[in-house]
Amino acid sequence: MKIYVVQHFTGSYALNENKDVVAFVHGPKGLDDMVEEALKIERGEPTAAYLRLLEKLKEMGINEIAVETNEEAKTATAKGFDAKVEPANPIARYFREHVAEIAVDTGFVKSIEDFYNLLHEFTIETTRRKLRRAAQKRDLLAAQAIRAIDDIDKTTNLFAARLREWYSLHFPELDDLVREHEDYVRIVAELGHRDNITVENLVKLGFSEEKAKKIAEAAKKSMGADYPEFDIEPMQRLARITLELYKLRRDLSDYIAQVMKEVAPNITALVGPLLGARLISLAGGLEELAFMPASTIQVLGAEKALFRALRTGGKPPKHGVIFQYPDIHRSPRWQRGKIARALAAKLAIAAKVDYFTGRFIGDKLKEALRKRIEEIKRIYAKPPKRKKEEVKPAKPAKRPPRRGRRGGKRKGRGGRR
Amino acid sequence: MEVVNVKEHEKYKGVYIVELEDGSTRLATVNLAPGKRVYGERLFKWGELELREWNPYRSKLAAALLKGLEELPIQRGHRILYLGAATGTTPSHVSDIVGLEGKVYALDVAPRVMRELVAVCETRPNMFPLLNDARKPYEYRHIVELVDGIYADVAQPEQAAIVADNADYFLKENGYLLLAIKARSIDVTKEPSEVFKHEINVLKERGFEIVDMVHLEPFDKDHAMVYARYRPQK
Repeated sequence: MKIYVVQHFTGSYALNENKDVVAFVHGPKGLDDMVEEALKIERGEPTAAYLRLLEKLKEMGINEIAVETNEEAKTATAKGFDAKVEPANPIARYFREHVAEIAVDTGFVKSIEDFYNLLHEFTIETTRRKLRRAAQKRDLLAAQAIRAIDDIDKTTNLFAARLREWYSLHFPELDDLVREHEDYVRIVAELGHRDNITVENLVKLGFSEEKAKKIAEAAKKSMGADYPEFDIEPMQRLARITLELYKLRRDLSDYIAQVMKEVAPNITALVGPLLGARLISLAGGLEELAFMPASTIQVLGAEKALFRALRTGGKPPKHGVIFQYPDIHRSPRWQRGKIARALAAKLAIAAKVDYFTGRFIGDKLKEALRKRIEEIKRIYAKPPKRKKEEVKPAKPAKRPPRRGRRGGKRKGRGGRR
Repeated sequence: MEVVNVKEHEKYKGVYIVELEDGSTRLATVNLAPGKRVYGERLFKWGELELREWNPYRSKLAAALLKGLEELPIQRGHRILYLGAATGTTPSHVSDIVGLEGKVYALDVAPRVMRELVAVCETRPNMFPLLNDARKPYEYRHIVELVDGIYADVAQPEQAAIVADNADYFLKENGYLLLAIKARSIDVTKEPSEVFKHEINVLKERGFEIVDMVHLEPFDKDHAMVYARYRPQK
């Protein structure tokens, strides 16, 4: 006789064609374990109750069963059953019609009322747990924060450049004396009118005695126009806000470091939080990054160059944003591609481990990468000899070559950020 | 504004008509969670009863009733599978109508709306939240029981097929389906009437008999409510 097996959050039940329950195994009664087991049913994994029920049926000499999903059938077949998949079969529908009574009859709950109280608690807890999981996509926070940092960089550069021109009407010499944007902005923000630019004040702002003397000297002899406070004040306001943005940038990068350590410890160990967050941002999330092959990770951020290469049959880029990795941009050209490939391979592993297990193997990955880089540096210490007969292009270009700027410009740029 | 009179709707059981001072009337249901609002609706006290205003511009089911749907199949004590529950506006009224003996399985895929829906379910013991995809009924077959009716507001191109799949798993024979069709989310390029015809054909092929269909203008543009019965042939 064929037996129908039906899954329920209270356990696994077996019914015959006459709709009698012939065997059952209840699931855990504690809410926590109950939810965990039920989530297994949802994911198509066998629950402990289902496996035990199969054993019971075996002991009863039952061989032929019907289940509702392929996954259930697979598990049963592996245990030697002749399992058929019959989704929404009449017996399963009958079971669902009378499930509350069956749960009472088999002793899982005392009354129908208890059953629905439990169902209420169970569905709310299950939903809450799923919501929590959905909300914990913190990798996306890091991705957004790194984009904010890039926006701030653009903005501060723009503001600093504007301020240099504006404040130069008053004190042109400062432009050459202070090359660092943030220092320049700080002087304007904190001191303003060049009468305030004294050695003492500059030292208070953290400049060296020597540098401060130079600046103060220039301020005294400046050939810029002398404006009243009224005209300096607007420049100072812009400078103060720009200074705030520099501070915000630092806070954001601390924040990213913290989030990255939690969501992607292995990637962080390999390339640091900022580059790591940038990779996640380009991939669209940790999950997406985890599913990428190393070859894709290697050129993330250099899509423009990659697609141009594909179109024209030219050389593909050696690296995307991972160009920012010190061992790549500090190495000689001919080593970069090899190092980029090694790093991308390790990153692909790191992303997978971060996404699927969260275990920490970052130190091992880093060590292996360091060895490989040393090897590359040893074996390829000298630049390759130029091949003389190299009369390219070997591959025929599918489209006429691009006009305008030569493709060569991409080299060493690491794509776009 | 004061309530002048309250009476039960002569055609739809469980639905009330509230007459206000200025002569206008409103649909309402008896609040299952007294004192609590779900979407900022007005509450009316009438003797022992607390009624919740049922806004036809917010709820397509209310609109369908005002447009004269043949009957309201949802009744006290019924079990309902509600696909596309969103934040719980209409489901809460369904929960009012079926009462504590009834059950509402309120399903939605979007985590964003589910946050609010869970809060509604917490105050209503007859409502069960499900954060699931209506396209995969096998992923909640271990939770939902056989139901008297399915209410669907899923706004998906293949919605008729989705409800039919759910009916196979969970809908009683002769059970009912209320399907809100938003023509514009199925195919913007087609005439709404064509879209409705197509959806109805799919339902018929999958074992539904159409009882009634009403257009929801002026409450919702290019929307219709289909009322059907499930008669699967064996």
